[in-house]
Amino acid sequence: MQKQIADMIKDMKCPFDEVRSSRGYLHVRVPSDRAVEVLLGARQRCGMKVLQLISAVDRIEEDVFQLTWILESSDDRSILMVSADYPREDCSVPSLGEVWPAAVAFERELREMFGIRFPGNSRQEEDFLLEGWKEIPPMRRDFDTLEFSMRTFGQRRERTHTDPRRYIAEITGEWETPVPMRKKEEK
Amino acid sequence: MYCNRIPDRPDERKRVWDRVDEMARANSLWVTAYGTGCGAIELRPLHTSRFDMERFGIAMRPTPRQADVLIISGYLAVKTLKRVIRVYEQMQDPKYIVALGSCTINGGMYFDSYNTLNVLDRYLPVDVYVNGCMPRPEAIIDGFTLLMRKIKDGQALGWRHYRENLDLYRNNQKEIIHDWDLPDYNW
Repeated sequence: MQKQIADMIKDMKCPFDEVRSSRGYLHVRVPSDRAVEVLLGARQRCGMKVLQLISAVDRIEEDVFQLTWILESSDDRSILMVSADYPREDCSVPSLGEVWPAAVAFERELREMFGIRFPGNSRQEEDFLLEGWKEIPPMRRDFDTLEFSMRTFGQRRERTHTDPRRYIAEITGEWETPVPMRKKEEK
Repeated sequence: MYCNRIPDRPDERKRVWDRVDEMARANSLWVTAYGTGCGAIELRPLHTSRFDMERFGIAMRPTPRQADVLIISGYLAVKTLKRVIRVYEQMQDPKYIVALGSCTINGGMYFDSYNTLNVLDRYLPVDVYVNGCMPRPEAIIDGFTLLMRKIKDGQALGWRHYRENLDLYRNNQKEIIHDWDLPDYNW
């Protein structure tokens, strides 16, 4: 299977890096403008008919979103992962919702969690999990969840420390380390 | 179809007959079958023969109209809070809330999450908190016996507090629910 897909990508004259491969499993990294072409080719020519997941990773140091599509073959259950890097500013990725209907939901989630636009997805403006979200998308790494949580939801009592031993000592007096039980001496 | 009128303020409890009512209420607590977090799974052993909550007259009901107790079982997301408010306000008075787990008390392990509440009793009146992550069935039964004792003593008056301070609770709820599309009161 790996060889078949690698040949297919070579046929397309598309440069690619093999990240990892083992039996029934292949992970390739391709340029961002060729990713959709490779995915559709794998569907048509290699029988990768099932879209399992679209995931995104925020690589803020390199200023990119790394998107990964995971495809599975319904014939021999082999897996193909295709990764591509897209620029972080005003990120826009072609939608695959017309080919795989499942992609619509994944793309809506990524739109909400990372702010990645998917032109061509008919339902991308609908709320998925967050209703009425007003901040920057929460899964971006420049979003400070702790600061947001303290500002929005507050705290019952501010935490001065997180040491349970000190907490118990403050309430009940001195905390003594429990001595482990000795083994019974054999007679 | 719903009634949009704000509920009247209830009378003070004066009658002797109230004591009898409270005795009867305490011994037949009917719980709305509604789960919000991981606690919904942890509640299942309570129904079965080992821990058997029917010994205490606690039974599950399929609809909020027939129930007295709402269990907030674990972390509560903002999206779920909206549904919980609807469920809680549809229940008949008197009604009680039992909150399980450290998530409802101070956020627990999700205290820095972008989407879960940290302090539940800003938004809904809680009668009994049961701590633990998740609490064991014995702890939940202990919480229910505490609730029964509070009802018999006439102290479980969260529902009355909610009615009298509806504006305060509404303000707190609207602070975090940005796309408020509920009626003024859900009967």
